[in-house]
Amino acid sequence: MNIVFYLAGPTVAASNGMNEGRIALNPRGLFKRSSIGSSLTPVEVEVERGRMQFFADVLGETDPIYLEKEAALAAGYHDIVALPSFFTVLEAAANKERSRRGDLGSSQLIGSDYRYLLHGIEEYQYSGLIHAGDVLTLTTTVVDFYDKKAGAMEFAVLRSVATHPVRGELVCATRTLIHRLP
Amino acid sequence: MTSETIGPVAVGTELPSISFGPVSRTMLALYAGASGDHNPIHIDIDMAREAGMPDVFAHGMLSYGVLARVASNWTGPDRLRSFSAKFVSMTQVHERVTCSGSVVERFEENGEARIRIAMEARTDEGRVTLSGEALVAI
Repeated sequence: MNIVFYLAGPTVAASNGMNEGRIALNPRGLFKRSSIGSSLTPVEVEVERGRMQFFADVLGETDPIYLEKEAALAAGYHDIVALPSFFTVLEAAANKERSRRGDLGSSQLIGSDYRYLLHGIEEYQYSGLIHAGDVLTLTTTVVDFYDKKAGAMEFAVLRSVATHPVRGELVCATRTLIHRLP
Repeated sequence: MTSETIGPVAVGTELPSISFGPVSRTMLALYAGASGDHNPIHIDIDMAREAGMPDVFAHGMLSYGVLARVASNWTGPDRLRSFSAKFVSMTQVHERVTCSGSVVERFEENGEARIRIAMEARTDEGRVTLSGEALVAI
């Protein structure tokens, strides 16, 4: 079973030691550093209205542009709009699709060890809105590995992009994962 | 698109905060289903114990999603240029969380006037769980 602790401990927030930065070879490291620059299979994901509504409801959203098509149209959108963190839903769907095809997921690609894995930072850059009915292509690339605390913590940076065939890139997500090494 | 300008926004402006909780197991089950993050450590106490945790705990992305709403509800979706947050500490079942933001800077980027909003999520005990920022076009 995959166990991910979504926690970057205080040691991460406070880390500014002299050994920060890139260590060419971290003997304690577990991430597959050779995966840098490689990508997961691009997959198409359909943005389903019901899924958007379910996600918005759970997060307590009440603004009707995220929930009701009529209200979204009246406000000038062409369907309900995705919440800013909805990308996480698309990415989970993309990973599910890759798994169905027997393709690698990001954790296999970078060699995540769930015994030590933490979710450090999640960043989204928005170039356009995601609407219900969009069919988006999701890509994920391994962009960096680095170390802190004299190699006691290693970091992997993944970049995922959701692209619409006409409107182009809509969201670029950068995720930092951490191994707190034994 | 609905894009009237926000108008002058003073540094120091506090955004309306959003609180949620107490975090329940039902909420975590629903977030797992809605998000597609089915990691059992958030929804199955047997799995949580097997991983050495005393209980299930909240998905970091649950609070992240509410924190992002503090920005998007204030600005509308069109003007949000980026949102990022660092996962600082875990949120336990039964805790209440308040997500807040305040304008810390005005600047120019990519030919438009933008503001930087410092954002954080805190439990009722005052522990920070998420620390981040939003960039918004004004």
